[in-house]
Amino acid sequence: MKTPARHRAQLRDWGAATLVALLIASAVFFVHRNREFRAREEGRARAAALAVARGEPPVGRVDLAGVVSPPRASAAYPFLRHRSFVEAGGDGAARELGGPCAPAADKLVYDAAGRFEAEGAFAGFLPDGSGRVVAATPTEGGVAVAVSTPPGGPDAFPWLTLIGVLGLGAALAGAGSVMGGAARPLGLALGASGLAVPTFLWGGALPATLIGLVALGVAWSAGRGGTDRFFGALAAHRTALSFVAPAAVSMAVLVATPFVVGLVLGFYDHDANSWKFVGLDNFAHILSGGGKAFDDPGNFWFVLGVTVLWTVCNVALHVTLGVALALLLRQKWLRGKGVFRMLLILPWAIPNYITALIWKGMFQSEYGAINSLLDLAGLGHGVSWFSSWSTAFTANVVTNTWLGFPFMMVVALGALESIPRDLYEAAEVDGASAWQRFHHITLPHLRPALGPAVVMGSIWTFNMFNVIFLVSRGEPGGSTDILVTNAYRWAFERDEYGMAAAYATIIFLILLLWTVFGTKVTRKEAAP
Amino acid sequence: MTRAGLLLAATAVAASAAACSPERDHGVVLWHTYNGAERDTLEELAASWNQAHPDQELTLVAVPYDAFADKLTSAIPNGNGPDLFIYAHDRIGAWAAASLVEPVEFWVDEPIADRYDRNALLPLAYQDSLWGLPLATKSLALFYRTDQVTTPPRTTDELIAMAPDARAHGRFALAYASTELYGHAPWLYGYGGEIFADDGSLHVATAEAAAAAGFARKLVADGVSPAETNGQQVATLFGEGKASMALSGPWFIGDIPAGVPWAVTTLPTVSATGRAAEPFLTAEAVLMSSRARDKEAAFAVMSYLTDDPSAVLRARQARQVVANKAAYDDPDVAADQVLATFRDQLDHTVPMPATPTMRAVWRPYQIALQEILRGGDPGDALRGVEDEVIHGP
Repeated sequence: MKTPARHRAQLRDWGAATLVALLIASAVFFVHRNREFRAREEGRARAAALAVARGEPPVGRVDLAGVVSPPRASAAYPFLRHRSFVEAGGDGAARELGGPCAPAADKLVYDAAGRFEAEGAFAGFLPDGSGRVVAATPTEGGVAVAVSTPPGGPDAFPWLTLIGVLGLGAALAGAGSVMGGAARPLGLALGASGLAVPTFLWGGALPATLIGLVALGVAWSAGRGGTDRFFGALAAHRTALSFVAPAAVSMAVLVATPFVVGLVLGFYDHDANSWKFVGLDNFAHILSGGGKAFDDPGNFWFVLGVTVLWTVCNVALHVTLGVALALLLRQKWLRGKGVFRMLLILPWAIPNYITALIWKGMFQSEYGAINSLLDLAGLGHGVSWFSSWSTAFTANVVTNTWLGFPFMMVVALGALESIPRDLYEAAEVDGASAWQRFHHITLPHLRPALGPAVVMGSIWTFNMFNVIFLVSRGEPGGSTDILVTNAYRWAFERDEYGMAAAYATIIFLILLLWTVFGTKVTRKEAAP
Repeated sequence: MTRAGLLLAATAVAASAAACSPERDHGVVLWHTYNGAERDTLEELAASWNQAHPDQELTLVAVPYDAFADKLTSAIPNGNGPDLFIYAHDRIGAWAAASLVEPVEFWVDEPIADRYDRNALLPLAYQDSLWGLPLATKSLALFYRTDQVTTPPRTTDELIAMAPDARAHGRFALAYASTELYGHAPWLYGYGGEIFADDGSLHVATAEAAAAAGFARKLVADGVSPAETNGQQVATLFGEGKASMALSGPWFIGDIPAGVPWAVTTLPTVSATGRAAEPFLTAEAVLMSSRARDKEAAFAVMSYLTDDPSAVLRARQARQVVANKAAYDDPDVAADQVLATFRDQLDHTVPMPATPTMRAVWRPYQIALQEILRGGDPGDALRGVEDEVIHGP
């Protein structure tokens, strides 16, 4: 390699490592700065409140400070609580807080007194984004409250420090490259780990070590030609990468981010807007069945059983009906195939929640179409479809079969098109029966197309929220709920987002296993 | 008072309310779910406010009901939400816990509180604070078809006695949302049952509540009411003449087909206890976002929308069951029989609990009611509700 190219490569590697280090260092800096800022501003307001509590004028600059009296509840309306206020540094006269014309700042000290009575002394930022802090502390005859003035703003980003460290690092890396030999990776590692020093001061040993490891890793990789290969590949596929980039970025934002957030939430417990880390508790609670019997709809394993049964029944019906109809549509004697095909695809074309709502209405016990038909046929009167598990489950399956068979039919039609006619002709010449032709020619040719369709269809059915939620609504007593509707109930009926996220993770793992297994099986079948 | 006079009065009140707050040109944004006459009236009120306060412009934003609560909970913490919004009181507990709504007792003095019927204001008090000012109240009342019923029942015994005659004509005496807790609540409270005890703890599985559920089962078993009815079916049955009476609220009026002769009266007394059947009360209120930009101006608007002249206008034009006592002195409002009935019913209502736990009660209770109406044991079913609310499903 020519000398200038070697130096360029060294600086390039140093730049890449430094970029990662810079990201880590900036994140650490902002966390550090916000913590400092918070502590400083809260300390300022707290000091002012403490001074007021001692009867002195407030230290530092404040918007408003003084002593708020305990509440006096209105006789007629106990929730109207009147308070009076003595402003610090004023003439010592008490004035009433509140009323329709009260000044804006009074509301802050009034609310602070209420919060003090609920949770004790505190100092905290106002939620209005102004950067002001309210602090309250006990004193004789009430609560001492101080509202700080808006702060001048947090520390600036330390550009000078960074430029100094970066310049030094670049010089080290360059020097290493010029000296060559063992100095080359050494210079790279030292030059790229310069940011570890300010990071250590801001955020301690952990992020600093991380930066050091990044620098070492890049230096090690550069020594083995790893970075050359990496950047070479980047340059070679520049066009392809630029085409992929928008999709990759949107996938990262729209798919990967919610996915990771969902995974993480599963380890937390949500209660009235606060999140508490509980480790694997949610998963343990779900997988142990929550202390319920196995035949209780609240038990995870019961719901899983229903879900699996639901999936198996549906997919079996979808495939059987779809293949049967596809075979029928292939018959030579059938006239108006186009019309039939269109009609049969129609259930697929209608949004499934609309179909689900229509079926729900048809299953209504007193005026529903299905009971009217049963009544006419003399098969029963006023069947209450959603009052027992078997009928409610049947209603769900019927609805979802209606929704699901067109897909399988379309897949089967496509696969049937691709079977060479002469195979059938040869079989006919050999005297094969219709069943033998189906079993030995049609079925083996359908399998490669139906395999992936079955895997996909089973995943859709496993997570078929709309039908369950709209048709049976889990009735009776939640026993026809499947895993995904159960997860919904945890999130939106009980506000237990952590449990819902854990549920979602479990569903994901089950489906992941099934997909891996399913693809393997279908691949094996397609192979011979 | 003439309409012009009314507007003048409203303007005068508004002017006095704003005189005390410094003009800060932030404007006030209000989200609501109104449509039809309610929306027109609100827009008229906003227009007269804006005429008097060009510096504190009130902007109305109509938001679909289905998306309303979710939009609020995601928009307010990010500072993109409204300054004020109109909603029923029953979410106050959850919103207060999440610091989405601003307590307003600071600005409210006794003269303001005295404007409203006590029963309409109390639902807005939660945990020693006041969270909004009431616009109107909603509760169930007894609708009946005057072509089928001449004297509506005053007791539940009279109600049950009407069933054989109604059955003979091939119809039900009473349709109501029997499997929903909202529809069942009048019997629950009429029998002396409750959902939360006075100290706020869950208190579902009581002998009184079991008796109420037993009564609901009797209504179905005796053919007084159809089995498994929801709100939608109640409207259909009543409109088609298949039910002579229906328990429903002010929103029901729009669902009754033209040509059906109807009237509305208060709920009957429960014969077994001698207590009035008491439906849930929801207070529709103006609430303030905790991130409102100019809270003083927002409160001035809040106070203006719920003051007496505004209430008269809302009662007259939108037929709201307004919360203001003085509004019912207005001759037009006093002459409105429907409003008078719902106002009488207000004295026999129970505010829908605003505590966040209530959200976990609805569905288990509904499942229990379905079980009971199908013949299940009331005591067991209600114990199941308590168990599920406390321990999760």
